[in-house]
Amino acid sequence: MPARNAKQWDKIPGKIESGEYVDSRIYSDRNIFEEEISKIFKKVWTPVCHESELSEPYSFRTMTVAREPVMVVRGADNQIRAFLNVCPHRGNMIENRPSGSFEQGSPSGAPKHMTCMFHAWQFDMKGNCVHISRGSEGYQDRLACSDVGLRRLRCEVKYGGFVWVTLNDAIDQTVEEWAGGAFDCMEKSLNSEPLEVFHYHKAIIPCNYKLWHDTNSEFYHDYLHYHNRITGFNDSYFARKNIGFDNGHVNVGSFEVQYDQYEGFESREELSFPHLPNNHWEMIDFFPGVNFNLRGSALRCDIMTPLGPDKVMIEFRGLGLKSDTPEERLIRQRHHNSIWGPFGRNLHEDLLAVTTQQATMSEFADKRRILHGRHELDADGDPTIHDEEGMRHFYDAWGRWMDRWPGDPELSFEEGQKREAA
Amino acid sequence: MSDSKNPDWSCVCTLADLPDQGLAQFEVAGLTVLAARVEDDVRVIPPFCPHMAEPLVESGLCHGLTLTCSKHLWQWNLKSGDIQGPAEKPLKFYPSEIRDGSVWIDASSQLAYDFDEDEDDDFEW
Repeated sequence: MPARNAKQWDKIPGKIESGEYVDSRIYSDRNIFEEEISKIFKKVWTPVCHESELSEPYSFRTMTVAREPVMVVRGADNQIRAFLNVCPHRGNMIENRPSGSFEQGSPSGAPKHMTCMFHAWQFDMKGNCVHISRGSEGYQDRLACSDVGLRRLRCEVKYGGFVWVTLNDAIDQTVEEWAGGAFDCMEKSLNSEPLEVFHYHKAIIPCNYKLWHDTNSEFYHDYLHYHNRITGFNDSYFARKNIGFDNGHVNVGSFEVQYDQYEGFESREELSFPHLPNNHWEMIDFFPGVNFNLRGSALRCDIMTPLGPDKVMIEFRGLGLKSDTPEERLIRQRHHNSIWGPFGRNLHEDLLAVTTQQATMSEFADKRRILHGRHELDADGDPTIHDEEGMRHFYDAWGRWMDRWPGDPELSFEEGQKREAA
Repeated sequence: MSDSKNPDWSCVCTLADLPDQGLAQFEVAGLTVLAARVEDDVRVIPPFCPHMAEPLVESGLCHGLTLTCSKHLWQWNLKSGDIQGPAEKPLKFYPSEIRDGSVWIDASSQLAYDFDEDEDDDFEW
């Protein structure tokens, strides 16, 4: 096949159909990015941290969700609540630390309260305003503590203790309803006993968040990972299914990894997650930007926070059981870090791929088609993990939320569907 | 040290242990208390500001008979316990006596302030 000139390059290649590619502008256009923030990220449930990160009453964790500063706190009643991390007075961020405890006072605030350092307005763990400095002198009877509580956010602790938050008060689904069965494959493992975060690192990656998610939702890219090919390519590998669930979530089915095929590695049957067969692997790609990866003895969870059309923050957490002995914890850390740590076998390779993708898709680059038209089915006609059904499934949900056709974002979703039917 | 005739009473400190001005913290009979000279007498109080449980050993400032919590500037008359300025709750005092240069209190029941949070069971989305 010869190289193509500009006109040939613009044509749809082969017999690829309209639902089998996206327009590269969905990865680079600033307006589309802003629309994703308002139409998707401000509307859905997302995990923001794990409950073990705020293990004691009065401990807290801060983060941003769709650019809004959010604070998650554990009350004296052990209940976890989420609030906008914004003072109702002059809009200051109330808590600047990434994590800590309100048990002790601060220079401006009393113990067991959140305090805005600017004018020392104070709030309890339920978001009640309990102190306005010289309140009655300044506001007389025009404004009282009861008028200026924090903005509370819907919050659930679900699926192995992850803390889920949404900015959308009007959401009509619980986290379980939103998951649509995507957690069935690992729920028993996650819920059998309390989990604990043992690894955390984050990175700001120069790529669109969807490029990272695309990568996680097909395993055709194991051609990128020498380690995965050596340990994984066997009959059961190709029998893994790629299963779509409502709301854009995807599940990659389990199989047995042969770690001992890789030089320097050994079988990992010494320790596994409860209810997970030895050396097995399950994965969930959760819409729109979370990945749960249960591999042998360690659970990994990646949470993406989009920062711009070509910038995403990814937080990587590794989890084991809270009841781990020191020896068990060391095994989990070794298993986790040797694959997924900053110096592991896979992570840097994935990051290299997505950043070089983005390098061809600058904000002002010509639009082009990004293909996801692989249909690689098993004997039963179900998509296997080298099928790109995961991406098609994601972009079907994405297009509906955005009311844009992923293959041509200038069309509405309905117009795109009509064109596809024609 | 407790009183052999009345075991409810315990010795907190000697007068010499107290500064001329300000609060000093002591542990007595399982309690943490603050003591201060007030003219020719003493006052012994719980260790927290009645407002929001601020430790007064850190944030309590004494000027004459006025005690001020530097966090939110609640003030009291340290002799009477009455509120001054923006304070909304009076101070509580342990019953106290000076005996032979030592400060004694009735430590039989712990004094505390009510810091309970409001319930939010009826929160409406």
